[in-house]
Amino acid sequence: MAIWVRNMGRWVPGRKGVSWGTGSGRPGGLLALAAALAVMAAVPDAESSGRVAGSPSEVAGSLAGCGPDYYRFPMVSTRRVPGTGNATGVGEIVFAESPFGISLTEDGSYLYDFTVRFERLNPARTGTYVVWTTTPELDEIVPAGEMTDPAAFSGKVAWNKFLVVVTLEPAFDPGAATWTGPIVIRGMSRSGMMHTMAGHGPFEQENCAAYGYE
Amino acid sequence: MSRGLALASAAALLAIATPAAPQEMDHAGHMMGDMGGGWRMPPMDPNMPMIPGLEMALPPVEPFLAAAGIDVMTLPEARPGEVVRLAPGDTLDIEVSIVRRTLNGHTAAMYGYNGQYPGPLIEAPQGSTVVVRVTNRIESPTTVHWHGLRLENRFDGVPGLTQDPIEVGESFTYELRVPDAGMFWYHPHVREDVQQDLGLYGNLRVTSPDPDYHGPAHREELLVLDDILMDDAGFIPWGREAPTHALMGRFGNVMLVNGVTGHTLGARPGEVIRFLLTNVANTRTYNVTFGNARVKLVASDVGRFEREMWVQSVVIAPAERYVVDVVFPAAGEVAIANTIQAVNHFRGEFYPHVDTLALVTVAGPPLDDEVTRAHATLRTNEAVTAETAALRAHLGRPADHTLEATVRVQGLPLPIVRSMEIDTLYIPPIEWNDAMPMMNWLSAGTQVTWILRDADTGRENEDVHWTFRQGDLVKIRVFNSPDSFHPMNHPIHVHGQRFVVLARDDVPNDNLVWKDTAIVPVGSTMDILVEMSNPGDWMLHCHIAEHLSAGMMFHFTVEG
Repeated sequence: MAIWVRNMGRWVPGRKGVSWGTGSGRPGGLLALAAALAVMAAVPDAESSGRVAGSPSEVAGSLAGCGPDYYRFPMVSTRRVPGTGNATGVGEIVFAESPFGISLTEDGSYLYDFTVRFERLNPARTGTYVVWTTTPELDEIVPAGEMTDPAAFSGKVAWNKFLVVVTLEPAFDPGAATWTGPIVIRGMSRSGMMHTMAGHGPFEQENCAAYGYE
Repeated sequence: MSRGLALASAAALLAIATPAAPQEMDHAGHMMGDMGGGWRMPPMDPNMPMIPGLEMALPPVEPFLAAAGIDVMTLPEARPGEVVRLAPGDTLDIEVSIVRRTLNGHTAAMYGYNGQYPGPLIEAPQGSTVVVRVTNRIESPTTVHWHGLRLENRFDGVPGLTQDPIEVGESFTYELRVPDAGMFWYHPHVREDVQQDLGLYGNLRVTSPDPDYHGPAHREELLVLDDILMDDAGFIPWGREAPTHALMGRFGNVMLVNGVTGHTLGARPGEVIRFLLTNVANTRTYNVTFGNARVKLVASDVGRFEREMWVQSVVIAPAERYVVDVVFPAAGEVAIANTIQAVNHFRGEFYPHVDTLALVTVAGPPLDDEVTRAHATLRTNEAVTAETAALRAHLGRPADHTLEATVRVQGLPLPIVRSMEIDTLYIPPIEWNDAMPMMNWLSAGTQVTWILRDADTGRENEDVHWTFRQGDLVKIRVFNSPDSFHPMNHPIHVHGQRFVVLARDDVPNDNLVWKDTAIVPVGSTMDILVEMSNPGDWMLHCHIAEHLSAGMMFHFTVEG
């Protein structure tokens, strides 16, 4: 089994400390989804007025046996790039190889093999499609690879909440810190649906701001 | 409902239904104090608000603490577990008794096998039969289940199915046939959520005659992992008639290794230490990390892996065992820790969380001998691959049976139902922590039915009954349905047989090992191939103690 360590500065300070007891590194008061929602907001382009054929559920139907249905997530076009406005897709995850059945990174994050599959995603007219994974806060971005097959891409991701983003780039640079071209299509892991209960349901009387939400 | 399991259920209900004296407790320092009737609310994250409408809610069962009404100082103090090496035919007497323990500065009554924590480590040679005579001196009926052993059915320790419960003051003699080398364990099969949590667990190690069974190691260390739920006044009471914490199982907030907090050990740089891990917790799945050490995974429940492999951590579900050979490279202090990403359902966030389980002081002259050098090599176990190679032929065929894991609830307070309906927008594959302690605590086994449903017949739990012939290789698919009120991971245990995990989510397993327990994350499917080698009536159940008590079990028959 390959040792897979994410080479980013996300590890918790003191995680390898030797003091007794329990330690938690709880995130601060940022609304985690705010940035992600900004990314997800569709920006229609001129060609996108028609029906988007090939719904995520239709695509998902062709993915039987490729990971738990429950954790699949839709990939949604931004409609910003010519030739991609009708594209649709589905992401699916399965635990990376592990003798325990559950694959984790050093800090206990899930380590997944992910696959995104697309329909009606035309090949790039110029440049190339590049797949990225990122946190909902967009504070860490990892180039997953160049998408040479416009129908599918597979990679690894080691966050419990994450986005998969496909951009149009002049060329693939595996050392790039972030994308420079427009986002073509993107999706968020199912875990992105988990959000604060403050202000909702039985906690509707709770003041969101008291918990750091704006 | 089958007669046997009806009896088993009845026995479980009767198990701790003995009258108890009124509880008197010191509630100083607890956030809620005495909530009435002897209940105290489990400690909660102070940053998490109470669910409106549940501020003074209590579980719909009576509270239970061991040895209520007895002056704890009159009880014998428990002592650390001892090693008992048995030769073929030897007999060991085990007394199940009430003992005095001090955990986290609080002295209380617990249970013990021969007054020890954990119970005695029993060692027996592979292929032998040893005898254990068990006498019940606690306050309720009990049995002993010999987890993982392919032993004679009548000694499997399931009340109402393979034996009557051992009543208080009575004895039962178990004859243990041990055909497989490995690390096994023993525990009650009556209200495990209470009796096991109170300290009734121990290991049984079956030693191979092959001196080269494992690679060389300088020494071996047990790591028996447990947790227990306490506040400043002591143990949070258990449910008398049925378990509390029926939704997620009873997570503890005090970590125990080999029955104690603050476990320590020493090591030399370069020393190869073989850690034998057993998870005896009611519900917690651990992700055990070893700091900067190099960790080689060599074996699991019922023997060795086909191939040894390097791992970054050991993910171990309730009732599982793993064996790792570990080398700490340099002097210093290293924490053996449970390193997880916990969930805060209220905030909708994951956050890193570390519990130190043990401290290793690495000191002294470095070792660099043949044993150290051998650690760098990953072995392939030809004897295992010779057995398992043919099993892969079953990968491509349909399952013989499919089980769906799900849950049904009735009578839960409305605020819990509303919270869960929001919460289940997303359920993680594994619940590493109790993120909603109040809701979990309030859910009792009388309100929650955890279900194993036969997909072919629609029958559930004790109404499922499968019959096989000895020698059958039976492929069972377990699907952990996410479409239920509260999906959760389930460690599935098969009594009296051994199996391999062929595939998960249709991805073939390329490193097989014989198992008796394996975890199914939420939404996943797990295909196991069970070798029906041992005649009798055998249980298949979830090994989260509260899920078992809430019905998640049935039995099958292997005809000889």
